[in-house]
Amino acid sequence: MSTRDAMRRLIPPGSYVLFLFFLAGIWLTISPFAMTTQPSGSHWIASTVNSVTIGVIMIVVSLLGILGYMLFALRDLIRETQAKQVAEQQV
Amino acid sequence: MHTTRPSLGKYICGMAASLIIFLAGGWLMLAPFALGYQPYGADWVSQTTNSFVMGICVAVVALVAFILFFYSLLGSLRASGVLVAPTRVVAQAPVSYQTQTSIPQATTQSQSDLDKTLATLAAALAADLNSRRQAGSDQQNDQNESLVNRSEVR
Repeated sequence: MSTRDAMRRLIPPGSYVLFLFFLAGIWLTISPFAMTTQPSGSHWIASTVNSVTIGVIMIVVSLLGILGYMLFALRDLIRETQAKQVAEQQV
Repeated sequence: MHTTRPSLGKYICGMAASLIIFLAGGWLMLAPFALGYQPYGADWVSQTTNSFVMGICVAVVALVAFILFFYSLLGSLRASGVLVAPTRVVAQAPVSYQTQTSIPQATTQSQSDLDKTLATLAAALAADLNSRRQAGSDQQNDQNESLVNRSEVR
C-alpha cells in the first residue's frame, strides 16, 4: 500500500469537516475578544462565557474525533498488513 | 467471497463527534435568547449575530460530517458482507443449465446473489464443455466406423 492510500484511509472526508470545526472552535473562543464585545478588565459576560465554553468543547471534540478515527484506522491497517503477511507465509 | 472483519469504532467515533458538534451548533443558535443577553424585541446585538450565524453554519456542516461518516460506515458494512451491496442486473442462464447444477439447498440460501450467478455460470460452462466433448467423440466414432466400412468394402 502506498503512502497516499494509507493517508486516504487514515483521513476520510469527514475528518476534513471535523478540522473545520476545530477552526470554528478557535474562532468562537477568541471572537468575544476579537469583536471587543467583552469589556477588557472586567469579569466575563454571559456571551463570552458561552462562546468560550462552546469553542473549547468544539476544539476538544473535533480533535478527539480526528485522532480517534486515525487511531482506529491505523489499528485496522496494521491488522490487515499482519494478516497479509501471515497469508503470504502460509502460501 | 472475500470478506473483511468490520471495525466500526472509527466510524462511530466520527459520528459521535459530529453529533456532539451538531448539538453545540443548536445551542449556539439558542444561547442568546436562553441566556438573555439578547434584549427581547430589540435589534440583534453583535454577540447574537455572531452566535446565531456560527450556530447555523456549525449545525449544517456537522450534519454533513455525520452523513459522510455514516456513508463510510455503510461502505464498510457492505465490504464486510453485513449489508448486501446493490447488484447490477445480470442476465440469467437458461433453466436447463440450472437443473444440471448439484448445489445443496442449504448452501445456496446462504450464498449471495453473486455466488449464485457464478455457480450457475460455472455449471453452464461445464455442461457446454461436456456436450462439446461428447459431440467430438461421436464424430470420431463416426469417422472410425466409416473408415472401417471403407476398408471392408475394398
